[in-house]
Amino acid sequence: MAKPNVTAKPSATKKPRVAIFDFTGCEGCELNQLNFEDQLLDILAQVDIVEWREAMDDKAEEYDIAFVEGALSTPDCIKRIHDIRRRTKVLVALGACAVDGGVNAIKNLHPIEEVRATVYGKDQYLFPTLPALPLSAVVKVDHNVRGCPMTQAEFLRLFTSLVMGKQFDEPDLAVCVECKLNENECVYERGMICLGPVTRAGCNSHCTNFGQYCIGCRGLVSEPNLKGMNEVLTSHGLAVDEAWKRLQLYNAYRLQGVRA
Amino acid sequence: MAQYFLEQARVTDFIAHLLAHHTVYAPHHRGGRSFAFEKTSDPEAVVLDYPRVLNAVKKFFLPPREVLLHFDLTRDTAAVPKVEPIDAVFLGVHSYDLAAVRRLDFNFSTGNPERNYLVRRKGARFIGVSYVPDKHHFAGSVGIDPYDMTGCDMFLTKHADGWIVDILTGEGSELAAGFKLEAHDEPKPRRAHFTQHVFVPQARLGQVMEASYDHPVWNETAETCLSCGTCNLVCPTCYCFNVEESVGIDCTNGHRERSWDGCMLRGFTEVAGGEVFREKVAARQRHRVYRKFKYISDVTGQPWCVGCGRCTASCTAKISIVEIVNRLIRDSERDESILT
Ligand code: SF4
Ligand code: SF4
Ligand code: SF4
Ligand code: SF4
Repeated sequence: MAKPNVTAKPSATKKPRVAIFDFTGCEGCELNQLNFEDQLLDILAQVDIVEWREAMDDKAEEYDIAFVEGALSTPDCIKRIHDIRRRTKVLVALGACAVDGGVNAIKNLHPIEEVRATVYGKDQYLFPTLPALPLSAVVKVDHNVRGCPMTQAEFLRLFTSLVMGKQFDEPDLAVCVECKLNENECVYERGMICLGPVTRAGCNSHCTNFGQYCIGCRGLVSEPNLKGMNEVLTSHGLAVDEAWKRLQLYNAYRLQGVRA
Repeated sequence: MAQYFLEQARVTDFIAHLLAHHTVYAPHHRGGRSFAFEKTSDPEAVVLDYPRVLNAVKKFFLPPREVLLHFDLTRDTAAVPKVEPIDAVFLGVHSYDLAAVRRLDFNFSTGNPERNYLVRRKGARFIGVSYVPDKHHFAGSVGIDPYDMTGCDMFLTKHADGWIVDILTGEGSELAAGFKLEAHDEPKPRRAHFTQHVFVPQARLGQVMEASYDHPVWNETAETCLSCGTCNLVCPTCYCFNVEESVGIDCTNGHRERSWDGCMLRGFTEVAGGEVFREKVAARQRHRVYRKFKYISDVTGQPWCVGCGRCTASCTAKISIVEIVNRLIRDSERDESILT
């Protein structure tokens, strides 16, 4: 089905009002953490930042675009994300944690009480915790910027699309495609596991360009053939269990209940 | 035409001779055990004896990514980047990859001519080399043997002590001019041992494909196919592309870029409104095979697969186009024998 194309262009003259939020994550996707350097000023010139905990004290009633980083992992997160959704026209999930739950969702593989006791010990009752959720598990998300940390080029593409009122298409093809465009030797040739065949492109095959394997940080394609992936591993004499552990690094939420 | 001999010990001298006068692209090591055409700077780094390169020489004439247009939205102007003939020598090309270039020449000059490709193609000179088929090549089955010199200006045939050199065109003589080569008149080795075969000629294959539209092989292949598009992207006769526009952070200057695309990718058939008209992997797999042995072949009478074996060699799921085609042949023959 076609996704309605959600843009934030408010009018020809007014700049879009932007708010930036963070939930559970390492803050590696925060805009000011990224390697934008000079570009950050150009970005800010295109919009009015009306709320940003990292950089200002103001709070706003309404925004055109909310950029949200991090996964939801406490009852308070759920309340806050509903509040943000009510105030914003466009909601963008930034980075693997916000889009797919990210590494936070590994905890979902264990009983929640066990996780809580392990992390907080005797103080566990002071810290209510939930299984980690991607934003889309709770509210409607209009756009994703994937990656851990989020893919900078994709952020810029989405950002310019939103400012200009243009359609943004999220890539839905395997990392293998970019690997071919970059004419990399496939890491399976060297007997290593690579999650590229089921992982969403858009990073310009960042890791495999350097002879590294893909660990799937941009999440799965929309229709991953996981059974096929198992066959690939088996036919190459590689460990299916090890590959599934790696798949769960970023895809534990999406793969809940799915097994090799 | 004239035939000479180049001893193995003088190969790097010969490459150095070419380099002194020309830009040379040739196979180099890539990664641990692969090869890729690269611009040559060190004659020693060139590998003439190789099984196949990752991407065929197609990549020079139809680059994986290419900017088609630069635009400025504030001034409402656009500029088309200048495309020039590639004035270079392509050294060490295998016969099937040149056969693929000829097919692309046909595709890009019939109908609406593809200007960028045709312009780039103009300056190219080719020095072919013979090769020893590995477990994936089946070019012999589509009529292209490892010694086929068609389209070359010069051709190097492997010999125990070096290379037999055929000079085939005026361009070829110019490339060799000033480099001393011994005359050679012994007969050339001409035995290609392919281990992979497609068992019927194209004339029959069209009918086989016709009869196989609902064959179970498409669904069975789809079970393991990851729909990763690799088989399209590495194919020397695949030429599909996507076109996208993007702007810089100032939202005023931008460009239109074209990049390789492939029919195994789900988004390939996504049209305005989000409809995907080849939704099933099985349908995409059938389309891919038909593009090589039926659709274009019905018009040209030639298979559009050149038997390079890349799609099979680089498919992580080890899906073999030869196995698919031979199964279709076998089953269609069986069906016919039931009918008659
Ligand atoms: S290295 Fe990984 S991403 Fe690249 S082609 Fe191989 S499996 Fe695909
Ligand atoms: S190659 Fe894989 S792990 Fe590396 S950035 Fe891309 S999606 Fe992430
Ligand atoms: S390379 Fe193999 S797995 Fe990938 S799309 Fe082609 S047949 Fe399917
Ligand atoms: S279909 Fe496969 S074997 Fe045939 S030319 Fe294309 S990549 Fe080579």
